[in-house]
Amino acid sequence: MLLKIVGSLVVILSCSFLGLILSRDCSRRPQQLRELQTLLQMFENQISYLSDVLIEAFERVNRVANSETGLIFGRAAEILGKGEAQSAANAWEQAVRQCIRRTALNREDEEVLVEFGKLLGSTDLEGQIKNIRLTMEALRIQEKKAEESRSKNETMYKSLGILGGIAVVIVLL
Amino acid sequence: MGVDLIFRIAAIGILVAVLNQLLIRSGREEQAMMTTLAGLIVVLLMVVKEIAVLFDTVKTIFKLE
Repeated sequence: MLLKIVGSLVVILSCSFLGLILSRDCSRRPQQLRELQTLLQMFENQISYLSDVLIEAFERVNRVANSETGLIFGRAAEILGKGEAQSAANAWEQAVRQCIRRTALNREDEEVLVEFGKLLGSTDLEGQIKNIRLTMEALRIQEKKAEESRSKNETMYKSLGILGGIAVVIVLL
Repeated sequence: MGVDLIFRIAAIGILVAVLNQLLIRSGREEQAMMTTLAGLIVVLLMVVKEIAVLFDTVKTIFKLE
């Protein structure tokens, strides 16, 4: 009897925990997309007013941000610094692919970011700034989508986890 | 055994009703339908043994063997 109670408690707790994790991912995505927009704005300022080299600009953004999204910039600076990539675009793509796992961003956001890297360091200043603006616009659209799916899914995942746990316990009891 | 089964089926019914409402409210009518169906199937699987017993009893009562 005691074993049954403990077992059902474990099942319910783990299922609610799963639901909680999923709902937290839902609310983290729009927040991180907003963060990325701020970071890109900062990046644009550094390129246009301070005329920083790419590595320095990346590093400074990473230092200011100090979060999961800033990590992409830090990793890109690292790859560029070590000379592991043939071009800036390549380094940026590697950094995005490596760091996207730690964020709550999905494939679409990943593609937007990789697309941003394609033009990195291959045009003049004006082209760079236009590229950044374009990416920010795309990120804004993604953020709107993420916000929509958040309001739809956040509470659902939470209660679905708890109720699913209870259902499993009842069926197994 | 008998009363236990009834309680379990009642609990599943309540759960499925709540899940159904939850999924419909978040705009997922299809998944709501699927949960209802899943609940129905689970309950049927639990009850099917009892139904077999009932048929056996009917058979023995009317001597249809």
